[in-house]
Amino acid sequence: MINKTNLFFGSASDTLFLAWMSMIMAFIATLILAGGLISYATISDWERSVSGAITVQIPTYDREGKPRGDVVQEDVETALMILRTSDGIKGATVLDDNQMATLMQPWLAPNTVIQELPLPQLIDVEIDHAAPPHIKQIQADLAEQVPQAVLDSHRFWLDSLVRLAHNMLKMIGFILVLLTLTTTFTVIYATRASLTVHESVINLVHMMGANDFFIIRQYAWHSMKQTFLGALFGFLLAIPLIIGVSFFLRTFSNDTALAIGLTSWHWGILAFIPVILAILGFLTAYKTVDCYLKRFL
Amino acid sequence: MIEQNKLSSLIAEFNGVSFRYPGGNDVLKDIHFSLEPGSFHFMTGESGAGKTSLLSLLYLNALPTKGRVRLFGYAVDQLSRRAKAHIRRQIGVVFQDFCLLNHLNAFDNVALPLRIAGVKESEIRHHVSELLAWVGLEKQMRALPPELSGGEQQRIAIARAVINRPTLLLADEPTGNVDDAMANRLLRLFLELNKLGTTVVIATHNQGLIKQTNFPQLHLSHGQLKIIPSQKPYVDMASKLFNRGGTHD
Repeated sequence: MINKTNLFFGSASDTLFLAWMSMIMAFIATLILAGGLISYATISDWERSVSGAITVQIPTYDREGKPRGDVVQEDVETALMILRTSDGIKGATVLDDNQMATLMQPWLAPNTVIQELPLPQLIDVEIDHAAPPHIKQIQADLAEQVPQAVLDSHRFWLDSLVRLAHNMLKMIGFILVLLTLTTTFTVIYATRASLTVHESVINLVHMMGANDFFIIRQYAWHSMKQTFLGALFGFLLAIPLIIGVSFFLRTFSNDTALAIGLTSWHWGILAFIPVILAILGFLTAYKTVDCYLKRFL
Repeated sequence: MIEQNKLSSLIAEFNGVSFRYPGGNDVLKDIHFSLEPGSFHFMTGESGAGKTSLLSLLYLNALPTKGRVRLFGYAVDQLSRRAKAHIRRQIGVVFQDFCLLNHLNAFDNVALPLRIAGVKESEIRHHVSELLAWVGLEKQMRALPPELSGGEQQRIAIARAVINRPTLLLADEPTGNVDDAMANRLLRLFLELNKLGTTVVIATHNQGLIKQTNFPQLHLSHGQLKIIPSQKPYVDMASKLFNRGGTHD
């Protein structure tokens, strides 16, 4: 028995093209979007860690290796005053010996007496993430009043990296737009080809009194079904690849930033690719057939 | 909506109709005729006289290049697409080359007009099975058209044209591929539909069929139409044919 989609599509020959193309598009789109989501998550993570990681060092020895004496404590207090009065800083604390020891633990041999090392005094700065500080201003204030102080912020070198990553995200967006356009043109091409092949059938059904929607529906449903099934298959094919790459990065990469995997939210977004392609297939076929039918009386 | 434009109760009305294909000469010239509800006409004429073109105008597959065509009282050039589709659903057409869908079986081919009209599947099953049995194809219900003979395909084409009890039935050489017995049987089907109120126009070269029934003829020659009236007063041809000892089920 015929149903609402197989009046024109008795043989599979003219239906596979659309499914294959959708599969390829969805496969590429899933990989690219997954890459984009991971990049976005990585950038966000970088930005979070960068904006939350400011340390001020006050050297305890001068450049010749001589202890700087009481001036260190004065510098620490001046630096604390500058930091605590700057906007965007919730608090500033000098790390004590125990905290320093914990911090240095990976690099020091057991039972090392930390006081004997020429370590600087470290001030841990707590940032207000809602209203981050103006780092360059703080740096300028420190340079003026505590010239020996060193402000450690990864922001300066990470900023350019983040800019690069943002540009990469724009590129990914552009590729996704291209894929969408390619899919649209593919559906238009496939639908037009099919309309040409089935012109006599359409003419017959039209002569029997089928209104435009009856014919459009046949094509639009068919297109939606084919693009969805093809895209679903492409999406499913991409999953093991994404999991494999994520696993590889987590297992073999020392760079924690690269080891960020996809969250369930990300998978949810990716799962929309077949749905979006199916809707695109439906609407494109709908419009294409609607225009085509205008040639009939 | 559609009722607003209705001006007459005639099934079809042609006034000064001419028709030509793009780039060609007039195939039909200044045609005037009308079809009364419940009438039965044969359409005759040499090959190339314009029978198929006239039928095309009648089933709204073409518009006249000159003159006006009214179908069911509506001027066809003023109808919306939706209204045209509505009118087409009241017309059954038997095409000369059958125009069956080869990927659909006999049942689905016959059921097509009902599905287009949105009839329920249970009703479709009942009506299609009954009609296929009537044309002697109940055993070929699931066969695809290429698996059937020319005569069987023609019967499917006829069954498809009459399945939704059209108000106007147009047939282009409907008995061209069947033997005399089957031709009579199909003619009886047309007559029966005509008795039930369907207006029938059959384009044919079969003089035997015309003589048997003695209905008026729309005779086309070089694009001109001449109406040849019935030679004898009308008799109930269906009863006459049924009483001939045909294989009536």
